[in-house]
Amino acid sequence: MSNLFFRERIVESINNPNLQTALDNNTERRLRGRALAFESIPDWRERRQRAHKIRADVIDNLDEYLNQFIKKNQENGVIVHRAKDSKEAIQIVLKIVNSLPQRTQSEEQETFVPLSDLRGEKVLIAKSKSMVTEEIELNHALEKENIKVVETDLGEYIVQLRKERPSHIITPAAHLKKEQVAQLFHEKLNIEYTEDIPTLTATARKILREVFLTADVGISGVNFGVAETGNICVVSNEGNARMVATIPPVHIALMGMERLVPNLDDLSLFISLLARSATGQKISVYTQLLRKPLPNQTRHIIILDNGRSRLQKSPLKESLYCIRCGACLNACPVFRELSGHAYIGKDKTIAPYPGPIGSVISPGLMGENFVHLAQASSLCGACKDVCPVDIDLPKMLTRVRAGQVNSNQLSVISEGAGLNQLTKLSLQIYTRLSTRPKLFAFSQTFASLITFLLSPFSQWIHLPAFTGWGYSKDFPRFGNKTFRSQWKHVTLSETKGLLHNQRDSSVEPAALPQSDINLIEQFTKELTAVSGNVYQTKNVQQDVIDFIKSRKIHKIMLELNTLDESLLQKANIDFTYDHDPQIRLGVTNALVGLADTGSVLEADEALHPSLLPEIHLMMLKSKNIVQSLPDAIHLVEDKNAAVFITGPSRTADIEMTLTIGVHGPKELHVFVDVSNSG
Amino acid sequence: MPTIQLFITCLTDSFFPQTGQSVVNIFHRLGIDVEFAHEQTCCGQPQFNAGLRKDARAVAEHTIKVFENTKGDIVTPSGSCAHHFRHGYLELFEGDDLWLPRAKALANRVYEFTEYLVDKLNVTDVGAKWDGLLTYHPSCHTLRGMNIDKQPRALLQNVKGATLVELPNANECCGFGGIMSVEHPELSAEWLKRKISNLESSNSPTLVVTDVGCLMHIAGGLNRQKKKQRVIHIAEILNQR
Repeated sequence: MSNLFFRERIVESINNPNLQTALDNNTERRLRGRALAFESIPDWRERRQRAHKIRADVIDNLDEYLNQFIKKNQENGVIVHRAKDSKEAIQIVLKIVNSLPQRTQSEEQETFVPLSDLRGEKVLIAKSKSMVTEEIELNHALEKENIKVVETDLGEYIVQLRKERPSHIITPAAHLKKEQVAQLFHEKLNIEYTEDIPTLTATARKILREVFLTADVGISGVNFGVAETGNICVVSNEGNARMVATIPPVHIALMGMERLVPNLDDLSLFISLLARSATGQKISVYTQLLRKPLPNQTRHIIILDNGRSRLQKSPLKESLYCIRCGACLNACPVFRELSGHAYIGKDKTIAPYPGPIGSVISPGLMGENFVHLAQASSLCGACKDVCPVDIDLPKMLTRVRAGQVNSNQLSVISEGAGLNQLTKLSLQIYTRLSTRPKLFAFSQTFASLITFLLSPFSQWIHLPAFTGWGYSKDFPRFGNKTFRSQWKHVTLSETKGLLHNQRDSSVEPAALPQSDINLIEQFTKELTAVSGNVYQTKNVQQDVIDFIKSRKIHKIMLELNTLDESLLQKANIDFTYDHDPQIRLGVTNALVGLADTGSVLEADEALHPSLLPEIHLMMLKSKNIVQSLPDAIHLVEDKNAAVFITGPSRTADIEMTLTIGVHGPKELHVFVDVSNSG
Repeated sequence: MPTIQLFITCLTDSFFPQTGQSVVNIFHRLGIDVEFAHEQTCCGQPQFNAGLRKDARAVAEHTIKVFENTKGDIVTPSGSCAHHFRHGYLELFEGDDLWLPRAKALANRVYEFTEYLVDKLNVTDVGAKWDGLLTYHPSCHTLRGMNIDKQPRALLQNVKGATLVELPNANECCGFGGIMSVEHPELSAEWLKRKISNLESSNSPTLVVTDVGCLMHIAGGLNRQKKKQRVIHIAEILNQR
């Protein structure tokens, strides 16, 4: 087998300066961000070992956990489907979609920003980012049936407009420069050419908001399923995953069958690792925990196998521990040269999962077409080093190379999978020599003579590029005499030698002193750091009303039992408890605040007022601020849907430039009630 | 008197015998007897990494047999070979009742050179002298595979006359990766370019490594680019008086 088709694609990537700049930026910023984020949990090594053990237990007892998860979801009113492969998963989605009532002309006219692009479609689907849907190529299948599906993650929307696949599992448009996005939006969305990232983001917000509000179906992925409670956890920074899961009347969540954690306590551990590894955040802006469908909503969960049960019984089992954070991509020197688009199969299709984990699971799930990817690695171990669940990726890669891809004994994949025939033959000859010491020594002498004849005047030989080695470096001449040929055993006298005991002076880093930082102060510091605003007040009702008046806003969206209606009337502020997307400001109560991340918990009635308006005000009692997620996670148990919010909606999908307010609120203001009343 | 077995590694044996001699000299100065089993060849890592398990096994079985007849710890001036003994062999013989215990017995005796000096012998100063700047490239298998980093750094810190400066982005792979440098020369070349440019920004004329794989790769690149910097195995630095 030759790997030339793959090498050609690699060279294309290396010779693309825009791509290389984008990839260097991605690597440097993500790795720096990750390192900083892990500083705030000094026990992260211990955490990742715990996470590894939990994932190992889940994968070893997957059937049991799945049954528990499915049963809980059925009790919670969720419709659960199981799909053994992509074809089945697509069939299930189509069946759900086709059974919906057809949209009528009059319904079409209700939309307030008419979009010619979306007209005339029988069903509109709003979709948030999901690698599983990439894996089964869902969009392609839906479009074939004339069903309109719109990607709503900004990066994913960009690559969809370009008719590309994502180049990175976390930042799908990581390969593009802002000029390319500007040109794309100018051509496809008919806006004036601009490279201003906030303007580009605002354009996407306007169009996609319309999609959320008019979609018949929302499709999302699942970050984690909680076996004990049935919750599904879906995280996002932009807020699009909240929209697709709570606005359209039907929500379909697609989940790889391995994505379970046993309980909520375990979930909080994984949440503490996921965003730190993925984006260098302590926690994503929105960590949603969905349990029951909302009123007037139907929820389906489709659990996908597609090769996972086979993988579970194979030597690549550990690759199922993956939580799809993308850290191994960012750390990988191969990915840094390639981007996701260069991980191609023999049939030239792009592998659904790139990077080190992709070079294991793409062949693991899809077989021979992708085995050669595993040979493109120096086994440097940078991937294992950053993996939040400590997957031994170098070991997995050597197993793919050894052909251990299928648990099936009749597997056709041989040892040395993806290797060039000549390399294979040379190594086999080397084995012959290495098991015959006399022949080994003789061939060393012979090689020494040959290399001397090739390069009599220099220690180095200029080999031609086609040899591989000669492409960028010279080859050393064999030594005139090998070490073994010079070896003479020297007997030492008993008294000789300097050995004395000397302790290594380097010390382990000292544990951080347990500080007693005031919870409110810590909460304020953390939330401010992610662009939120915090005010301490003894008169929370009046301060919130004054704030609304200062913004000259006359109508607001309210959660029940927040602001006193008579005070609002006195201030001439109109209000509604219903979901009204035209309103610019929403007020909610926060159930709890987390000091170590600056997060607040919202649930059920507060979901829409905390998501749709541009400005979100929250009232939080100071006594409800706790240290961290594990102290609060069990509050979600009796909520239909809950979300931990950490700052205003944000994206960094265009050139990794942080932009605030892509789908959810652009401003977040928390009024901390320090009056100790109630 | 303590005795160690030297596993010279095929690359050091064939290309850099002077590195092996330096290792022997240092141990002799410390009063440690060094033995060399003549039947040793290669540890079988190239075959293992390429996925040729049957071949890797044949070489591993040979090596196990050679060292089973010897006494003492086995020291090797290569982090990646030590890593292969400690981890690769266990993977290779997993589930094999006959060979796994023999592989484990061998793995338990193996140390990387600087690890042996610092962790086993408690030596961080071997009385070496060097004039000028040094910078250190942590080889991937030494650093991440074996978790060895403080040891070579401590030894270099104590070289009289030498100043150890940090290599920018030191932890990045140099692009050797055994057969990867031949199978994927284009990738390998990019990393090598970056390593050399980082070496240049360190201003050190000398790059120290713990693995001759990286040595022949980086030095080969420097020679091709006609650069003045040199790459040297840590044993040769520590052998300077």
